[in-house]
Amino acid sequence: MSMLFRWLIFGFAALLFNFPLLSTLLTSLKSEGEIVSNPSIIIQSPTLANYVKIFEMADRFDILHFLWNSLVISALGAFFALLLAFPAAYVIVRTGFGRNWLLPFVLNLRALPLIIFAIPLYMMFQAVGLLDTLLGLALIMCIINLPLTLALLSSTLRNIPEELDDAARIDGASTISIILRIILPLSVAAIASSSVLGFVYAWNEFLFGLMLTTKSATPITVGASFFFSASGGGVKWGVASAVIMLSLLPPLIVGLLFYRSIGSSLTGGAVKG
Amino acid sequence: MQVSSKEKFWLTAPITFFLLVMLGFPLLLDLIYSVSEVTFENLLAPRLQGFENYFETLQDPTYWDALAFSLKFGLTASLVQLFLALFLAIYLEPLLARHPWLMAVLMAPMMVAPALIGLMYRLILHEFVGVIPYYLWEWVGDSPAFLGTENAFLTLVTIEILQWTPFALLILYTAYRSIPSHLREAARMDGANSLQLLMLVELPYMMPVILLTFFIRFIDSFRVFDNIYVLVGSGAGGTSTSLSIYIYKAFFRGGNIGQAVAASVLLFLAALLLIALLERFSRRMETT
Repeated sequence: MSMLFRWLIFGFAALLFNFPLLSTLLTSLKSEGEIVSNPSIIIQSPTLANYVKIFEMADRFDILHFLWNSLVISALGAFFALLLAFPAAYVIVRTGFGRNWLLPFVLNLRALPLIIFAIPLYMMFQAVGLLDTLLGLALIMCIINLPLTLALLSSTLRNIPEELDDAARIDGASTISIILRIILPLSVAAIASSSVLGFVYAWNEFLFGLMLTTKSATPITVGASFFFSASGGGVKWGVASAVIMLSLLPPLIVGLLFYRSIGSSLTGGAVKG
Repeated sequence: MQVSSKEKFWLTAPITFFLLVMLGFPLLLDLIYSVSEVTFENLLAPRLQGFENYFETLQDPTYWDALAFSLKFGLTASLVQLFLALFLAIYLEPLLARHPWLMAVLMAPMMVAPALIGLMYRLILHEFVGVIPYYLWEWVGDSPAFLGTENAFLTLVTIEILQWTPFALLILYTAYRSIPSHLREAARMDGANSLQLLMLVELPYMMPVILLTFFIRFIDSFRVFDNIYVLVGSGAGGTSTSLSIYIYKAFFRGGNIGQAVAASVLLFLAALLLIALLERFSRRMETT
């Protein structure tokens, strides 16, 4: 009996939290005519026409271009963070070097509103030609991903026994080869979960995508909002809904596939950060 | 042989260099521009002028409105999220423990960009095609202007809460599950009932994580930008201008670089203060 109540509360919470997603999905399956005449949650004649129409608008808003931009930016952003954080995490864990300045500094970035740096970054990017480039945005995503990536990697590395390093050293291995041949293979799980989280964070970023791009590097979060700008006869709600569904799919799929590791990583990262 | 100091340097140099260029230098620019007279024309040669920009910002009533909005928004959103998540985490624990995949269903909104969630509500709350006004008209015969001056705060804060309660839920659920079972057993042996167990054993045990969750949610909600920007834009009046929106607006709309930068530095100082508090708090937690 008490389990039944729990199911009810769960169902209510799940519906409430996911309501915007479900409602937008329904709208995306209605025809433009039906959206205006029937805003209810019942679809009279479901259609995929809106999803086809997105691509007919490619001359004005090219969704594949936005999606590609987000893919590149997010993948690079997650990769850069790993590249910078991995060697640093090794040194911090094994030698204590940087434990009192580098580690706390990076972890505390999580609590710093990055808009503080937005205006000077805009000026710097303009000066060096990084404005409206994929590389420029990927560098920003790297900043965003560093705290969690470093937290995850250093807590993983802490659990790899130092005897492994020592044994390899006796066999004459250099620090670089220890990192690459011993530590790296043992950290695959942490690397995977920081890549997943980094990808999701970067994909969902909006502020810097808005400020630092104009056309060629526009990410999908910003690109999707273009479909909501009423130009020539109002917003095409059906198409706009379909765009949203396509935009949220990649991080949602990745996130849900790895939801277990995301859960423990977020908790670990949060508790440490 | 251990890791040599040369290796220590070279392995940490990339991240240090990156942070100096991407955050250190921008901060320096912030500080310089905030005490300069600067326009888009003399960006490379700003003229030092003292604290004029700070005075102007601090005398700007919109700045104080934005600060008040962000504080109120951050506190309301984080407190409601915390209580809602705490209730769900503890009440649903037997269910979630038996069917772990249910957590994935609750986590879905966390994977979606706040900007996209904002766009969804533009449709959902639309007075002609939106599903919520439609049902309100059907059932109650009236529908408020959700994004009008009077209701904007409540609407925006509700959207924020509904998207991010799952985040708090996830952390608190993990914390609740990690309470050692011997603590519960000992309390039961001493004759504690369920309420006493919760109030005297479980909640105190979870308190560090609860406070931390509150801090994280407060910071994230305080700096809110995306969903407000796509829902009400940066054009509307002061009722829904967060501090982030204020800075963005001063720079991109007003071209008022000095003031935008001064507001950034003030925000930086406030964030430092919060981080220092957090550090002290977590150090105390470690020692106790």
